[in-house]
Amino acid sequence: MDKMLHNRKAIVFFVAPAFILFTVVLLIPILQMLYYSLCDYNALKEPVFIGLDNFKTLLFEDKTMRTALKNSLFFMIFSAATQQVIGVLLAVMLTNIRRGRNFFRNVIYLPTVLSSAALGLLWAFIFNPKFGLNYLLDKVGIEGPLWLMESDGFIVLPMIVIAFVALWQYVGQNMMLYMAQIMGISKDLYEAARIDGASSLKTFRFITLPLIKPMFITSLSLNCIGSLKFFDLVYNMTQGGPNNRTQVLATHLYEQGFIYFKYGYSSAIAVVLLVLCLIVSLIIRKGIKVENYEM
Amino acid sequence: MKCKLKEIIIYTVLIVLTLIYILPLLWMINVSLKTNQELMVNPFSIPEVLQLGNYIYAWVKGNLGTAMLNSFIVCTVSLILSLTLGSMAAFAIARMKWRFSEWAMSYFMLGMMIPVHCVLIPLFVQFSKIGLTDSLIGLIIPYTVFALPMVIFLMTGFFRSLQNEIFEAACIDGCSIYSCFFKIAAPLAKTGFSVAGMMTFVSNWNELLMALVFISDVDKKTLPVTLTYFVGPYAVNYVQMFAAIIIALAPTIIVYLIFSNQIVEGMTTGAVKG
Repeated sequence: MDKMLHNRKAIVFFVAPAFILFTVVLLIPILQMLYYSLCDYNALKEPVFIGLDNFKTLLFEDKTMRTALKNSLFFMIFSAATQQVIGVLLAVMLTNIRRGRNFFRNVIYLPTVLSSAALGLLWAFIFNPKFGLNYLLDKVGIEGPLWLMESDGFIVLPMIVIAFVALWQYVGQNMMLYMAQIMGISKDLYEAARIDGASSLKTFRFITLPLIKPMFITSLSLNCIGSLKFFDLVYNMTQGGPNNRTQVLATHLYEQGFIYFKYGYSSAIAVVLLVLCLIVSLIIRKGIKVENYEM
Repeated sequence: MKCKLKEIIIYTVLIVLTLIYILPLLWMINVSLKTNQELMVNPFSIPEVLQLGNYIYAWVKGNLGTAMLNSFIVCTVSLILSLTLGSMAAFAIARMKWRFSEWAMSYFMLGMMIPVHCVLIPLFVQFSKIGLTDSLIGLIIPYTVFALPMVIFLMTGFFRSLQNEIFEAACIDGCSIYSCFFKIAAPLAKTGFSVAGMMTFVSNWNELLMALVFISDVDKKTLPVTLTYFVGPYAVNYVQMFAAIIIALAPTIIVYLIFSNQIVEGMTTGAVKG
C-alpha cells in the first residue's frame, strides 16, 4: 500500500499534464506580462526596454486611467457594501419563511448563471433615453434623466446604473452563501434565545451575525475581486462612454491593448490590476479576525 | 399576531423582488415579438401580430446557430479536459505521498488570485505566432487552464474525504494505483465532478473577454461575442436584438428551469469551498 502511494511514475503521470499546462498558459505569461509592462511595445514593433515610463504615463498623465481607477474602486466599494448587506438580509428573510423558499431563492439566483453580455444589452435598452424606464416615467409626468449618457459628477450616473445592474445580477450569489451558513446554525441556539426572551432583532445581532462571519470573508473576497475585474456589463452597456467617463480598469486595458494595440502600456494596466487584486485579498484575509464558536 | 405581520412584510418584499427579476425578462420577450414601429409607439403594448420573423432574422443575421455550436464545443471540450487533468492532479495531491504535494497545491491555488486580464496580451502574442487565434483550440486551452485551480481545489477536498480502507482493500486485491484512481476514486467523487463541472461550464459559457480578444472570424465566434454585434449607438434593430438575446439565454434558462435546485445548491457548494 505504502509503496503504491509513493510510486513516482504514477505521481508524474497524474500531476504533470496539469502542471505543464498551468505553467505554460498561466505562469510564464504572467512573467512576460511583467516584462512587457516595462517595455515600449506595440503590434508593429518588438518590445524595447524603457523602465518605468509606462507607469509614469499611466499614473501621472493618463486622465482615462484616473477615471478608470476611480470607477473601479467605486464599483468595488459599492458592490461590496450593497451586496453584503442585501445578501444577508435576503438570506435571513428566506430562512424565516416556510413556504416558497426554494422558489424565491431560485428566482433571485437566476441572473447569476446567465450571460452578463446578454443581460447588459437588455438593461442598456431599459435605460435607453426613450423607450424603457423613461417611457413609464414620462407617463406619470416625470422627465427621466439620460441614464447611460449623463457625463457630469464625480461618479457619473451611468456608472451608478451599471453598479445597480451588477447588484441585481449578482446579489443571489451572496444570498446563497449566507443562506448555506445560516442553515448550518443549530436550531437549539435560536430556541434557547427565544426562551430567554430575546427579540428577533437581538437574535439576529447576537446569534446570526457572529456565526455567519466566516462566510463574510469568502463572500467579500469574491465580491471585491470580481468587481475589480469587471468587464462584461460595462462593455455591453456603455463601452466606456460617454467620453470615457465609464471606463473601468478592465475596459481601459482592453481598449489600450486590443483597439490601439499598445501591448506594453496595456500590460502596465494589467500590473496595476493584479497588484490591486492581491492587496485587496490580503487586506480581507488579514483584516477580518474570525473567532471560532462552538456550533 | 406579531408573527403574522412579520411574514406579511417578508412576503411583500419577496414578491416585489420577484417582479424586479422576472418582469425585465418577460418584457424582453414581449418586445422581441413586435415590429420596430410598434416598439417606437409604445414599448409596453402587446404585439398585434406575433413577429416570429424577428427570431429567424436574428438567428441568420447574428449567426447564432454557429455561435451556439461553437460555444457548446468549446465549453464541452474544456470541461472534459479540466475535469480529467484537474482530478488527476487532485488525486495525487490528496492521496499520494510525495515531498512536494503541499507545494504543488499552493502553486495551483495561485491561479485563483490571478485575473484573466493579466495574461491576455502575452497569450494573444504567442497565439498569433503559432496560429491559435481565430481557432476554437485557442479558446479551449485558456478556458481549461483557468478552470484547473477550482477543479483541483474542489476535487482535492472530495478525494481527502474518502476513507483509507477502500484503497487498502483495493491494494490487497492487487489493484494498481491507476485503477485506484480511474475505477475507485473517480466514480466515488461524482458529486465533486458535478459541482466542479457546473462551475466550469457556466463560467466558460458566459465568458466574454477572452473570446472577444482571441476570435475575430465570424464563423468561430462564441455566443457572448456574437451578441456584441448588436451593441453600440448605431444598432437600431432593437426587436431583432431582443430576439437574439432570448435565443442566447434560452439554453441556460431551460436547463435552469429543469435543474434549478441542483444548480443553485451545486454552485453554492462550489463557492463556499472556493
